[in-house]
Amino acid sequence: MRRFWIGLAFVLSPFVLFALFLLSQGANPLESYQAMLRSAFGDWYGIGEVAIKSTPFLLTALAVAIPARAGLINVGGEGQLMIGALLTTWVGVFYLQGVPAWVGVPVLILMGALGGAIWGIVPALLRQYARMNETITTLLLNYVAFFTVGYFVHGPLKDPESFNWPFSPKLDEALRLPTFGSTRVHIGFVLAIVAALVVWFVIFRTRVGFRLRVIGGNAIAALQAGIKVNRMQLLAMVFGGAVAGIAGMIEIAGIEGHLRPMTGFGYGYIGFLAAWMAWNHPLWTIGTAFLLGAISVAGNALEMTSGLPSSSVSILMAFILLTVLAVGRGSKAS
Amino acid sequence: MGETALQRETLLRASKLIKRFGDFTAIDEVNLVLQRGEIHAILGENGAGKSTLMKMLYGVYVPDGGALEMQGKPVTLHPPSRARSQGVGMVFQDFRLVPALTVLENIALSIDRAGFLLNKTKLAQQIADISERYGIAVNPHAYVWELDLGQQQRVEILKALVQGETKLIIFDEPTSVLTPHEVDAFLAMLQRLRADGYGVLLITHKIREVLACADTVTVLRNGKLVYRTSRDQEMTEEMLVSQMIGSAELPRAPERNQVVLVDEVAALEVEQLSINNDHDVTLLTGLNLTIRPGELVGVAGISGNGQKELLETLYGLRKVKSGSIRVAGADVTAGSVATRMERGVVYVTEDPIHESVVPGLSILEHMVLSGMEMSKKGLDVDWSDVRQRFDSLDVVRTLRVAQADRLVETLSGGNVQRMVLARAITRVPKLLLIAYPSRGLDIATTRATQKLLLGLREMGTAILLISEDLTELFEISDRIVVLSNHSLYGPYDPADTDPYQMGHIMLEGDEQA
Repeated sequence: MRRFWIGLAFVLSPFVLFALFLLSQGANPLESYQAMLRSAFGDWYGIGEVAIKSTPFLLTALAVAIPARAGLINVGGEGQLMIGALLTTWVGVFYLQGVPAWVGVPVLILMGALGGAIWGIVPALLRQYARMNETITTLLLNYVAFFTVGYFVHGPLKDPESFNWPFSPKLDEALRLPTFGSTRVHIGFVLAIVAALVVWFVIFRTRVGFRLRVIGGNAIAALQAGIKVNRMQLLAMVFGGAVAGIAGMIEIAGIEGHLRPMTGFGYGYIGFLAAWMAWNHPLWTIGTAFLLGAISVAGNALEMTSGLPSSSVSILMAFILLTVLAVGRGSKAS
Repeated sequence: MGETALQRETLLRASKLIKRFGDFTAIDEVNLVLQRGEIHAILGENGAGKSTLMKMLYGVYVPDGGALEMQGKPVTLHPPSRARSQGVGMVFQDFRLVPALTVLENIALSIDRAGFLLNKTKLAQQIADISERYGIAVNPHAYVWELDLGQQQRVEILKALVQGETKLIIFDEPTSVLTPHEVDAFLAMLQRLRADGYGVLLITHKIREVLACADTVTVLRNGKLVYRTSRDQEMTEEMLVSQMIGSAELPRAPERNQVVLVDEVAALEVEQLSINNDHDVTLLTGLNLTIRPGELVGVAGISGNGQKELLETLYGLRKVKSGSIRVAGADVTAGSVATRMERGVVYVTEDPIHESVVPGLSILEHMVLSGMEMSKKGLDVDWSDVRQRFDSLDVVRTLRVAQADRLVETLSGGNVQRMVLARAITRVPKLLLIAYPSRGLDIATTRATQKLLLGLREMGTAILLISEDLTELFEISDRIVVLSNHSLYGPYDPADTDPYQMGHIMLEGDEQA
């Protein structure tokens, strides 16, 4: 019984802390939470928005979870997503105009994966051949990716008809991801959930996944068992990057239709949060990504009811992460 | 001896101490009294509760029951800083030293009331005085990473003695890192401490040392005090061993049969092998060693003389600086771990807890990782098949490996060792590289392990065995080699030499070689 109350206190504490924040800003926490809940889950539209929002979070979370299983910390989901989006746009705009969807969409998915994979393999190679820490290199490459996208949308990829805005031309309508009925919800959401299931299956139900888990658990033991640790870690980064790159593809083909300098900005970090909250378990990331998606959507409601900027919900996300980390530490210490 | 001059004053009195971990009672109503100038040995097998008891006295654990008194006054000793200020010092088996700091700095760190400024001159003088009095010389300005384990132990002892309040020192398996000569010096130091009125608690499983120095002996078994005796009463080796293992029948050293060598090709041939350490400084140089199938070669040496690095190099985990390694005739010098595994080489590390245990994985999964064959089922491992084979393995029963589903990270050191040994032995390797097989095991399991190793040898396995226990090496090796002074000496025939001669070579090398 005591455990139950402690558990409940942990679940509630971030919301209580955020309520205190709201109070300090002169907003009514109860009204705000009500409005937030209603906007995220009050109707099908809200739920659809949550699904749309959580799709990239889930994929960038998987981009963290796969390498984490091999003992690597990939903070580069952000950059991998952007380069995936860049390659998708480039190929879609210049080479796939007028191509039917059944050819074009799969090609674009591959392009997104390729872009992300390239951005994932660079830190893996730097780690193996130059002994550079992948946490640092993936983080720094995010900035490189951001400015690379900036260069393209201001230069070679700029839409001549955009009235000088830094946007790429629009993708062909045929290349846009199909949506469900008249909603904005596109098949990218299904794709992301399938990706999570596949990642779970590979990690927990195959021999390759077994080796991967051994490496993540104890790389020395893996070496002594004759596992090719370097090669497996390289593969983990390639697949992690590819999944994030697909998130970029989905942003372009599912939501925005064209590339902007800020496409997918911040999604990589929220995905990192989702992965850590799920202890890098691929199935749990579905839940955490959905929760973070709901909080993001609810941010808009917060803006409308209390006048606080919608990004205030980042504070709530941070509180939740801290709580999860505290619970994790507690269970480890006991 | 010494008792005449000393007033008999009770330093520590522990009554009915209890310590539980969950449902498991690690220490069950144990009483203990320690006088000034008394050496009190605590004997027991691994898991008997020796360390738990000592950790309560040093304040690491809070007792779940019972009372503690120091010099007649009730005390609490938790946390260790309080135990230290009450006069309890402890020399751990795994040293608590900072390698990047000097001896002096490490000792300064340990002084609780050191204040902000470090008076190095005064402390250095104090260290020199104590070193001289107890015969534990160590250069205070040397870095700890430069010291061998015996010297590091001296630093730990100095840490306890520099602390002015210390009246009682606990030694946890102190002689496991020492050569026979160093053991003699260590025992002499204990006599000196006794003469100066310190109380000494000595945790050990080496009965000869107990007989050589202890005034009182307490034997623990399964967390209970089962036997206590003192110098003026009966104290014999047979009695102590049978109390430790709880049976009158002593496990004997296994018989070693002559192996007829059929295979002429050496299982392992090492020529002019040189290895660098992690700091890229020469560690071992010019090693030559040949092991034939069915031969068990023991490696003696003070730990830290390159034992770990030698095995790692032979197994392909570490780069060869120069020289060559051939396994069953094939040159594997530049080959990977996988190429050696294909040729039937198996490696048991000296540190399985850190190097073999994968958190989150079960015993079954560890067995498949190396050892049992990974049977396939689609993309996955056929776990039910693996489980069936695991349950039918003789070696699993002989070594009493824990249940297949237990997470290995939750096992005790001894149980991890059982699993690691089981998976090495079940492979029936062509060449087995094995370090400290009996570490953490009770006498019966140690004997079972030695028997299994000799069984492998009779099946034609070549074994390279590293051990800190010279008795073990003499009992089961066909030949013994010694690592010291960056070289490998020998091989020696155990029948033509004795532990003292080996100890001499461990320290000085062999001039005749």
